[in-house]
Amino acid sequence: MLNVKNLHVAIEDEDKAIINGLNLQIKPGEVHAIMGPNGSGKSTLAYVVAGRDGYEVTDGSIEFEGEDIAEMEPDERAAAGIFLAMQYPVEIPGVTNMYFLRQAMNAQRTARGEDEIGAAEFMRKIREKAKIVGVKEELLKRDLNAGFSGGEKKRNEILQMAMLEPKLCILDETDSGLDIDALKTVAEGVNQLRSPDRAFLVITHYQRLLDYIVPDQVHVLAHGQIKQSGGKELALELEKSGYGDLVDAA
Amino acid sequence: MVAARRADPNPQFAEAFAQALPSLPGNLVELRQASLASFETLGLPTNRAELWKYTNLPRFIDQPRVRAAAHKLAAGTVADHFAGGPKARRLIFINGHLQVGLSHFGGLPAGVRIEPLDAALANDGAALTPTLKTQTNERSMTALNAALCDHGAVIEVDAGVQFADPVQLLFLNETGDAASMSHPRLIVRLGAGSSMHLIESHIALNDGAALTNIVAHYEIADDAVLTSDRLQLLKGDGTLVSKLHAELGNTAKLDLSTVGLGGTLIRNENEVWIKGSDTDANLNGIYLPRGTEHVDHLIQIHHDAANSRSEQLYKGVMRDRGRAAFQGKIFVHKDAQQTNAYQTNNNLLLSDDAEIDSKPELEIYADDVKCSHGATCGDHDEQALFYLRSRGLNAEAAESVLTFAFLAEVIDRIGDETVRETAKQAVIDRLPGGDLLRDI
Repeated sequence: MLNVKNLHVAIEDEDKAIINGLNLQIKPGEVHAIMGPNGSGKSTLAYVVAGRDGYEVTDGSIEFEGEDIAEMEPDERAAAGIFLAMQYPVEIPGVTNMYFLRQAMNAQRTARGEDEIGAAEFMRKIREKAKIVGVKEELLKRDLNAGFSGGEKKRNEILQMAMLEPKLCILDETDSGLDIDALKTVAEGVNQLRSPDRAFLVITHYQRLLDYIVPDQVHVLAHGQIKQSGGKELALELEKSGYGDLVDAA
Repeated sequence: MVAARRADPNPQFAEAFAQALPSLPGNLVELRQASLASFETLGLPTNRAELWKYTNLPRFIDQPRVRAAAHKLAAGTVADHFAGGPKARRLIFINGHLQVGLSHFGGLPAGVRIEPLDAALANDGAALTPTLKTQTNERSMTALNAALCDHGAVIEVDAGVQFADPVQLLFLNETGDAASMSHPRLIVRLGAGSSMHLIESHIALNDGAALTNIVAHYEIADDAVLTSDRLQLLKGDGTLVSKLHAELGNTAKLDLSTVGLGGTLIRNENEVWIKGSDTDANLNGIYLPRGTEHVDHLIQIHHDAANSRSEQLYKGVMRDRGRAAFQGKIFVHKDAQQTNAYQTNNNLLLSDDAEIDSKPELEIYADDVKCSHGATCGDHDEQALFYLRSRGLNAEAAESVLTFAFLAEVIDRIGDETVRETAKQAVIDRLPGGDLLRDI
């Protein structure tokens, strides 16, 4: 589904390389976790796959379902099925959560040549999904993320994910700032979305999240490269030994 | 040579005055002649005059103008612009002329009087003379209004009367090929402990070069509360110059919201005198010049008594070659201890050719006050744009959602729900791909 080959990424206008020859292949149905110290390029990888401005792919390629997406706009990537749950969801006062979500769904559907979702179907669906991810109905009517607590913002990201039904879900430090109960609810929401056609890329600092969202593969990122890959037990090892050896090795 | 602070007005202003004088309401020939003389002496302010620093007024309005002619409109056309709900009283002006047949300002409770200006001037012009004379020696456009004002309203609410039904003054302009002008005057007097809700709508129905030069007075006595929503939706070559003079007594409150969109020039000067303590004045506004539109706000808040509060919140979005100016000044006079005065002016510049001139000023003569001002100017937040686009909104839609969100805080402060909705739609109509936001 996602095939990243020899990816090199620099911050535009700064000549500063962040990712230096990264290879990553994710197949449908798989959950991959990326761990690594601050500044290793984890969030940059998420942004580059989702199409954020300000990064330049200097070499290599990113293919999504066999197509090179390097030149695609973020909204085109979203319509194609890529979703990024952000570390810091943005507050948008004046636009209600529910209204925004419906606009986003319909924008994606229109871009794919599908019919817009009807009001009744939308309401039924959002109520059902909100229940699963623990988003209170009152939050749906509030302005998008405005005044939401850290936990509410993260749950809301997962709600958007559940509604938009992407093919590739990228979770960028979704666990940061969550207490254990919120973490469990969020993980449960993610697990409900797991399916043979859907893949996940979970970026995290801590092994804890991976107790609840169990990955098929764990990668350690340092200095913009994957230094080590392994099964879910790799995360446990890292929790004990830290990143020290891997980072120093560069 | 130093550029002049004034320009001689086009002689047609005087010609129009001479022609109009015999038919102007009220026996006020002396006052009107003196006002016109003052207008000619003061001249039209250029951008060398401090109060007009960012707007070269002669460029916008100095051309041969006739007094706007009366005009008929279908009742349906007029009704499209009603605000304030079914209980509102309405004075409807077409090209500056009151249309008694279309208006509805009867059935008033005891203690509330609404009188058309022409009738008020004819009945007892002398009583209104001090008000009409205000600032005729300082402000040339106010002097021009004093010389030529014929239509408008005098609204009085007696002490202790709460008038819940909104009063809408609806100014509709549909003018012909000739550049025209009208000079409405509005006098609102709230007795102690009274309250009312005023809606002042200026709606252009075509692109005609109509100048509306309106002067308003709000006299808000102790404990009285005035909510005033002003909706200025101009088009094409239309121009609006508005001067508001408000005075507030002890524990009085003014909530003023202004939405100024369209035309070649919108200028709003709001001068607020806080003459009592524990008084609260809130001034809010939005502007969105595009094309070559020009919007200028001049705010002067005088704190002239202790322990009062004022707040200004103005937000603007400039695109194309649109230009806006915001000059906001807070005066804290020497007895106005414990004043709390805040001013915020936030701007989005969405094109390289757009311009905003923001000039916050404080002039403080008391030593125990809290005053703040902040002006910002920038583009959309890149992180927010990416957030919206990563959910599927295209670049245009994402930008429009953020622009709307930026203005929503001010729109939400508009007192009347129908004005708020109209303002919302007018803003959305101006946003690229605004259709997407239709039911926001």
